[in-house]
Amino acid sequence: MNNDYYSKSYMPGIIKWGKITMLLGITLCFLPALVISFVYGYMPPAAAILTGLLSQVSVSGAFYIVEPISYFPILGIPGTYLTFLSGNTSNMRVPCSSVAQEAADVEFGTEQGSIISTIGIAVSVMVGLVILTVGAVGGNAIVGMMPAGMKEALNYLLPALFGAVFGQFAISRPKLAAVAAVIAIGMTWLLRNGFLDFMPGKNPPSYLVILIAVFGSIFAGRLIYKKELQVPEEEKTEAK
Amino acid sequence: METGKKYLEMANSPLMWIAAGIAVFVVLMQSVIFFRKSLKAAPEVGLTKKQVKMAIQSSAISSIGPSIVILVTMISLLVTMGAPVSWMRLSFIGSVNYEAMAAGFGAQAMGTDLQHLTPIAFSCGLWTMILGSLGWLIFTLLFADKMNKVNHLLSKGNERMVPIISAGAMLGAFANLAAGNFFTETNSLTIGSAPSLACVFGCGIMMVLTKVAKTKNIQWLKEWSFAIAMFSGMFVGYLAR
Repeated sequence: MNNDYYSKSYMPGIIKWGKITMLLGITLCFLPALVISFVYGYMPPAAAILTGLLSQVSVSGAFYIVEPISYFPILGIPGTYLTFLSGNTSNMRVPCSSVAQEAADVEFGTEQGSIISTIGIAVSVMVGLVILTVGAVGGNAIVGMMPAGMKEALNYLLPALFGAVFGQFAISRPKLAAVAAVIAIGMTWLLRNGFLDFMPGKNPPSYLVILIAVFGSIFAGRLIYKKELQVPEEEKTEAK
Repeated sequence: METGKKYLEMANSPLMWIAAGIAVFVVLMQSVIFFRKSLKAAPEVGLTKKQVKMAIQSSAISSIGPSIVILVTMISLLVTMGAPVSWMRLSFIGSVNYEAMAAGFGAQAMGTDLQHLTPIAFSCGLWTMILGSLGWLIFTLLFADKMNKVNHLLSKGNERMVPIISAGAMLGAFANLAAGNFFTETNSLTIGSAPSLACVFGCGIMMVLTKVAKTKNIQWLKEWSFAIAMFSGMFVGYLAR
C-alpha cells in the first residue's frame, strides 16, 4: 500500500492520457464526414450544417454540462473521460460504474471507488464494442435471428434498467429516493403538459427537468441528512 | 429509391469502414490504457484481487443487456446511415436517441428526412451528428480534471456531504430518466402501463437483491443482482403489454 501512488502517479497519468485521447477523439471523429465531403465530393453548404447543428444544440446544449456534473460523483475523473468518449452514458456506463462499485464494496467518491469505477466502465466499453462490432458486420442477419418476442421484450429493458439503478441507491436512502421521484415526476408532468414552455430553448425544455431533479435532490439530501452531517461516526450507521 | 441506393453504397464503402474504424480504435485504446493503469493502481490503494475480479465480472454481466438494446437500435440506424457510421457513432460518443435525432436534424436542414436521404443530405446528417456531440467531448477535455472542485463547492468542504451528493445526483438523474415511463400518450400519470411496471419491478427487485446480497454477504448475488433486476423488470413489462 502506497499513500501517494494514486495522487502522484495514477492520476497524472490518467489526466495526461485522458486529454490525449479526448483530443484524438475530437479530431478523428470527423474522418467519416471528411471522406464523404472530400473523397466523394458531397460537401453540404455551411449554412445547412449550421442549421442542423443549431437544432441539435438547442436540444442537447444543456446536457453537455449537466450530464458530466451529475454523474461525476459516481464516475470519478478517469471514469468521466471514459464515459464521455464512449457515449451511452445513462444506459450503460453509469450503471456499470455503480454496479462494479457496489459489487466490490467500495465507497463512491473515494480513491478505491474511482479505480473500481474505471475498471467497470473499461470492461463495459470492451464488451459493448465486441457486441456492436459483431452486430455491425453481421447486420440485419443477427436481428433477423432474434425471435419476435425477444425484440418486443427488449423495449422494456431500458425502463427496467433505469428503475434498477434507482433501486440500488434507493435502498440505502429511501427518504431521498421518495423526494427525487416526486420532483422528477412532478417536473415531467409540468413539462409534458406545457407548463414549462415559457423557458428558453427548444420546446419542451427537457433540460430543466434533469437540472431541477439532480440539484433539487442534492439539496433535499442536505436537508434530510442534516443530522448525519453533524453527528459523530458511531451514529452514522443507519443511513449507509 | 435509386438515389437511396447510391448513397448507401458510398456509406457502406470500405473507405468508410476504415475511417470509422480509426475513430473506434481511439475508444478501444483509451479503455485499454485506463484499464491497465487501474489494475496496476488497485493494490496501491488497498484493493484486493477479489474486489477487482468482482468489479470486472459484475460489469461484464451487467453490460450484456444494454449492449443488446444498443445493437437492436443500431440496426435501425444502419438502414439509413449505413453500417460504418452507425457502428462508430454507437461505440463512440453517441447514444441511441441522440444519433437518429441528430441525423434527422441534418437531413431536415437539407430539406428532406431520414427516409428520403440524398448523398448530400446524408453528408449533412453526418456533420450534424459529429458537431452536435462535440460539446460533451470538449467539456470533458477542459473540465474533467477540475470537477473535484465542483464537488467541493457542492459539499462546502464537508467530507460527509460527498456520499449524499452522489446519492442525490444519481437518484435525481435516474428518477428523471425513469419518469417518462409513468405517463400515458395523453400526458397523464399512470402506474399500470407496461413500461411503468417494468420500471417499478426493476427498482423493487434491485432493492431486495441489493439488501439481501449486502446483509447476507452473498458474492455471486452482488455480481448478478443488477442483471437479474433488469431482465425480470423487462419480463414483467413484456407480460403486461
